[in-house]
Amino acid sequence: MFLKAKRSRAVAAGVAALAMLATACGGSSTSAGGDGTLVVYTGQSGDWQLNFNPFSPTALEGPGTIFEPLFFYNNIRDVEPRPRLGKTFTWNSDGTQLDVELRDDAKWTDGQKFTADDVVFTLDMVTKNAAMNGTGYKGTATAVDPTHVSIKFPEPSFMEGPQILGRIWMVPKHKWSGLATPATDVVKEPVGTGPFQLDDFKAQAFTLKANPNYYAGEPALKKVRYLALSGNQSGEAALRAGQIDWQTGPVPDIKNVEKNYPGYKAITIPMNQVALFTCSNAALGCAGPQTDVAVRKAVYYAVNRTQINQLAFENTAGEISPGAALLERDRDQVSTKLKEKTAPMQPDEAKATSLLEGAGYTKGADGIYQKDGKPLALTLKVVAGWTDYITAVETMSQQLQKVGIKITPQQLSWNEWSDARGRGQYELLIDALHQGPAPDPFYNASYFYSTATTAKVGEIANPNFARVSDPAIDAALAALKGIDPKDDAKRQPHFDTIQTRIEELVPYIPILTGGTTSEFNAKKFTGWPTKEDLYAFPAVWARPEHSEIFLKLKPAS
Amino acid sequence: MRYYARKLAFYLVAFWAAVTLNFFIPRLMPGNPVDILMAKLAQRGGTVDPAARRAYELLLGSGSDESLLSQYFAYLGTMFRGDLGVSVSSFPTPVSEIIADALPWTLVLVGIATFLSFALGVVLGTLVGWRRGTWLDSLVPATTVLAAVPYFWLALILVALLASGLGWFPLLGGYDVVLSPGWDLEFLGSAVYHGTLPALTIVLSSVGGWLLGMRNMMVSTTSEDYVLTAKAKGLRDSRIMIRYAARNAVLPSVAGFAISLGFVVAGSIITEQVFSYPGIGSKLLQAVQNNDYALMQGIFLVITVAVLGANLVVDLLYAVIDPRTRVSG
Repeated sequence: MFLKAKRSRAVAAGVAALAMLATACGGSSTSAGGDGTLVVYTGQSGDWQLNFNPFSPTALEGPGTIFEPLFFYNNIRDVEPRPRLGKTFTWNSDGTQLDVELRDDAKWTDGQKFTADDVVFTLDMVTKNAAMNGTGYKGTATAVDPTHVSIKFPEPSFMEGPQILGRIWMVPKHKWSGLATPATDVVKEPVGTGPFQLDDFKAQAFTLKANPNYYAGEPALKKVRYLALSGNQSGEAALRAGQIDWQTGPVPDIKNVEKNYPGYKAITIPMNQVALFTCSNAALGCAGPQTDVAVRKAVYYAVNRTQINQLAFENTAGEISPGAALLERDRDQVSTKLKEKTAPMQPDEAKATSLLEGAGYTKGADGIYQKDGKPLALTLKVVAGWTDYITAVETMSQQLQKVGIKITPQQLSWNEWSDARGRGQYELLIDALHQGPAPDPFYNASYFYSTATTAKVGEIANPNFARVSDPAIDAALAALKGIDPKDDAKRQPHFDTIQTRIEELVPYIPILTGGTTSEFNAKKFTGWPTKEDLYAFPAVWARPEHSEIFLKLKPAS
Repeated sequence: MRYYARKLAFYLVAFWAAVTLNFFIPRLMPGNPVDILMAKLAQRGGTVDPAARRAYELLLGSGSDESLLSQYFAYLGTMFRGDLGVSVSSFPTPVSEIIADALPWTLVLVGIATFLSFALGVVLGTLVGWRRGTWLDSLVPATTVLAAVPYFWLALILVALLASGLGWFPLLGGYDVVLSPGWDLEFLGSAVYHGTLPALTIVLSSVGGWLLGMRNMMVSTTSEDYVLTAKAKGLRDSRIMIRYAARNAVLPSVAGFAISLGFVVAGSIITEQVFSYPGIGSKLLQAVQNNDYALMQGIFLVITVAVLGANLVVDLLYAVIDPRTRVSG
């Protein structure tokens, strides 16, 4: 009896203690509180491991916020680069010399002045450490005077500009010259010129604070906190609880974000061209019916893009150009010589069947086309867990069945899928093409359609996975490297060549332009990008774009 | 003595086999860390220049053409020096550092939860076994249902109810992020508060197993002659239950408990995922998702050592606890 009494008292005490804790933390200080701190979630799963080296592929933060590029390139709107540490830049006529004028009022956060020596030191460091050279920089830089740098190149390098000016982060010579291994140093106490500096670091969250001595004035946004959660699922839950102010990624019921998350808004930017990648080139070792261009075109005409958009992408995806340029951003470069301005949103089954019959296919008893006794059957690889793509693939296989093409969807782990994609050991797979560092269709074409970036089947292509190898495209890309990007009239014929060849070859069968959706707290902060004013690509993980947005945000109190 | 030597030899061989599998299995998987890094950057930074690939191969040293066998011997060598290599997914942090950061969280959370569910299961099992045939019997199906419910589902239900719905507990994390980890009261309180819900999930879903085992052993020991003798002597019921029946019935559970302590190190991946808990389970998942061989090997090594060690201790202790094994050994 006595024992029992004691035990129940202990339990009561425990419950009371818990209740006290619960009330003490009831306000949960992790919530996006009222102190003007912007809480962001970049999709990080698991704890942060300290790394503020902007050149490291695993850097937590730094590009644009702590360390600045010379210029900011907006890669979704065709506008002039915005000066950051640079003021102006000029190329010589053949694209072998780039002269940059620098600001003279920028300071490192330890009080030292930023000069041309820092720029030359940074560029030389990237040259010396191949492991840091993610931009493929091949120039030689010299400081003319404290505010002028001149970079010489061995070959015409107009198209290298955005990478060098917009994606090499300037670091202080006086701090970094002492580092033994700059490529693998984690830069525990980053010293930069940027609008923000590191405030404090913990494994579950780190915080940046505004730099009071920033040359353009102290940002209105005083603090940014980066949370580490366990993935998109928990990101969605935290968003629902109002614990994060900005995240990029789909949420259920995208149409009604403003209703489901009071105070929040969503923006969707079409950027990634969703396509059926085909191993298209028999000369490089591809095998299967998709090596026949007639089959690729038949698929192109037989899919019902409107239905796919509705079922798989909640109608967030947009139209797509068969010439692989982005319709909105590249509207001045989209070729007028293309047969179709956009890929048809409605299926054209008659055209698909006539293409197949013209290529010698006949309809079998089971309704599937065949040639030389072999049915027209293709496997389509998709990553297990990519639910929107899986839905798209299932929808397409039903649509193509109607025309007489048998598609077998195959779900694989990301590793298997990426291995098959790299080595060209696939017939069809679904993925998206990405863009380059500047608003210019050249980059996408040079990545995915040039002989230089492909490989024989069995070797890893980087990243021309469709094995496109076309002399006309290669020649046009080479010519573009030697033309000043401002000279639109001279460039257009080459764009025409590239786009019309892509339309003829259909190595990546265009489906739709997929949107990147972000949700952000519009009640707490003003100044977010809108469709009308897209001053930067609004994805929280896009660096340095996010720093441009941080600079514009203002607490709404 | 021969018994002990034989046991030790067996454990050494088991350890070598585990370490070897640990090396080869990840390398038989398709894909490589550079591809994953490139894909992540393409998703995170929008654009990746093809030139980046070469840079990262150099950085991670994965473009090397060393034979698998020489890699294997190098791996054994560094492992015995205690050097577990560098993690690719959190480059350039050493693996030992990542494990050292994550392990305490898991040990405390899963350790305490395992101990609680063991204690609770044994106590309840004793009662249910002693009073079999009463309403208490319904505890058995009730707890085994909880154990049979898919684990992540139970966790998500609890989150939906207690964290999202009622707001009694925090949604995720191991502590309130505005605090600095340290030995002060505020931080410890926050850690306990954040750990309650994950611990509750573990206890709820594993208490059934202990309860069932204990109850069944109780039922068989209460029918033994010595219990009858004790009753005939007129001893108090509670004394018979605890000193005569439960003491003998608990032996197999103790062995099971020691082994499950070994598995504490492995954490529980699902709990840590659902609650974004900063433990070893979430690190293991991260390693697997990123083809991070060094981190995978490091974590598996720790798990292997813990499980083998726990088994060894049980083997050696059992002879002490249960005199009957000594006779045959």
